[in-house]
Amino acid sequence: MNQDVLDLARLQFALTAGGHFLFVALTLGLATVVAVLQTKATFGRKPLDARMVRFWGQLYVINYAVGIVTGLVMEFQFGMAWSGLTHEAGNVLGASLAVETIVAFFVESTFLGLWIFGWNRLNRWAHLAAIWIVVLTAYLSAYWILVSNGFLNHPVGYGSENGELVLDDPIAVLTNPSALLAFGHIVAGALLTAGFFMAGVSAYHLFRRSPEWEFFGRSLRIGVFLSAPALMAAAVFGGVQFAVLDSFQPMKSAVFSGKAAEIARVQAELTERFGPGDYVPSEAWTRGGALLMLISFALMMYLCFAGVILAAFKKAVFRFRLWHLVLMAAVPLPYIAMISGWVFRESGRQPWVVYGLLRTEDAVSDLSPGTMRLSLTVFTTVFVLLAVLNAWLLTRHARRGPVESGLGHDDRPAEARDTAPDPADTLPAPRY
Amino acid sequence: METLAIALLAFFAAGWFVLAGADIGTGMLTPWLGRSDPERRLVLTSFAPFFLGNEVWLVATVGVLVGCFPALEGELLSDQFPVLVALLTGWIVRDAGLWSRGRGPGPRWRAGCDAAVTCGSWTVALSWGWLLAALLTGRPYTPATGLTSVLTALAVAALFCAHGLGFATLRLTGLPYERARRLVGRAGRPWQPFALTAVLMGGLPLWAGTALPLAGRTADPATLGLLVPALLVVTPLLVTVQAWIWHTFRHRVSGPSYV
Repeated sequence: MNQDVLDLARLQFALTAGGHFLFVALTLGLATVVAVLQTKATFGRKPLDARMVRFWGQLYVINYAVGIVTGLVMEFQFGMAWSGLTHEAGNVLGASLAVETIVAFFVESTFLGLWIFGWNRLNRWAHLAAIWIVVLTAYLSAYWILVSNGFLNHPVGYGSENGELVLDDPIAVLTNPSALLAFGHIVAGALLTAGFFMAGVSAYHLFRRSPEWEFFGRSLRIGVFLSAPALMAAAVFGGVQFAVLDSFQPMKSAVFSGKAAEIARVQAELTERFGPGDYVPSEAWTRGGALLMLISFALMMYLCFAGVILAAFKKAVFRFRLWHLVLMAAVPLPYIAMISGWVFRESGRQPWVVYGLLRTEDAVSDLSPGTMRLSLTVFTTVFVLLAVLNAWLLTRHARRGPVESGLGHDDRPAEARDTAPDPADTLPAPRY
Repeated sequence: METLAIALLAFFAAGWFVLAGADIGTGMLTPWLGRSDPERRLVLTSFAPFFLGNEVWLVATVGVLVGCFPALEGELLSDQFPVLVALLTGWIVRDAGLWSRGRGPGPRWRAGCDAAVTCGSWTVALSWGWLLAALLTGRPYTPATGLTSVLTALAVAALFCAHGLGFATLRLTGLPYERARRLVGRAGRPWQPFALTAVLMGGLPLWAGTALPLAGRTADPATLGLLVPALLVVTPLLVTVQAWIWHTFRHRVSGPSYV
């Protein structure tokens, strides 16, 4: 094992997983909002609702599209850079990744294609069903990924055979508290991200005194009234995770509290259990991540509290420009909380990749530093470009507001809207 | 169970080659089939509703590989590291181009995105050729080198092109259709060249897969006993849904869509 390769592989995993995670946060939350909006539009048949579906759906699709390609790298990376992980723990980890790709992601992508391109072509109920399937499979996808991640953080339901982990109790793996609590926390965080995003974008248009005041006034309210309960749910799931940390990962808990005596005690305990070694994760990353998360949580709590009161008054929604500015500035907050919470979770469990069973340094693939450096450079460049592209496209479309073109635009020629004949009929007859 | 796991892997791999091979091939030929902005948009529209559903076949293939053959997956992917970096980069560039084409400003942006789709498609096809060269020469654990790898990569890319061309003749209208048709020739029914390349594309990963020591490298029976039946139950549903998509968008394209 080469120290350079280990560091580079860890950096690459952190950057790609972190980048992917940030896209997913908005995708998961916004998809839910779009599906609810479309349900309302389908039942109520009001033009304003339909326009809201198309506008927020457009932003969702942009974010999804960039997020999906970052996910491709994730899928391959386990085998590419962490072959020790699939070798030792593949019997448990591989299965949940496999189910995620086929049961969740495959269905999600297929139906998303149907939803995007099937606008004005599918029966409106089928079209509504498509977005709901996309949303449900997106949640399913998150669940299966967190089953994998939960196993890494708190392995349960496994046995050992010839030095390899084998699946012993699948129910225990599927109901791993480390997976379920994280799932609840992340779903709430995703809804929170979507809520702040909607509120921020709407605030921009209201600040600019857009003629679409009704559209954005309503969107702003949805954003604010979604953020508040989502924040509470995220806090509850986060709090419960803190509570079980003492028993699951005492070292993370000790480093978080920052008490040197406690860290030394846990270090001695772990040395006794696993043999000599350094069991203290990076204090800067672990404690820094946790603190940053808690600070952004506190800020969001004040904003949500004030927001719920302000959003109850029509005048404040349309005219309180200072609040509009604050909402615009607050869009990054849930992202900061999500990523720093994730840094806390993942760096705090080092030096383990599977807690207590497999060390990170034993899981990295046997690669040369040059190869690793090349792939890190390539993927980092690509991911930075994708993040910039996403931010730029999102800003561009968010600022444009609801327009006729883009997602859901009826692109069939006017005369063909009622009966769509096969355009092949107009082709010159083939000669055989 | 072991045989079923191998069959699942073969099914998803062959599925990717047949389905995604068509849209990658068409993507490779975009600048030739479509000489102007609206024409290129038409060419991309021919596979736009399908490419999202097509590319997940490869994700599913890797999913089956990591689920049913975890240790082998780790060895294979880490040993073929440079090939996969190229493959993934091409894939990302291609998708980013497809998704962003209609979202940015101006004709230059769109031309840039078209170039990204074309280059990305070529990179994906050539990387697959490179990977298949290693498998077909019976050395799955080292990236192929030398003349054989170059020739295999080019041959595989040519097959992708041919497959894409067949797809284009079935989907397009207007001038891009005429161009594709001219190259395919008028012998036989329009679907026949596509069917032929589809058989070749489907056979390619099966042939290459024989180089992999799949038997004996499966996951533990406890895992396999749950995973394989679960996948076998959902697979027909997945195929049905995809068939529905192909049915919904079965008509030739004459106008633009979301891309």
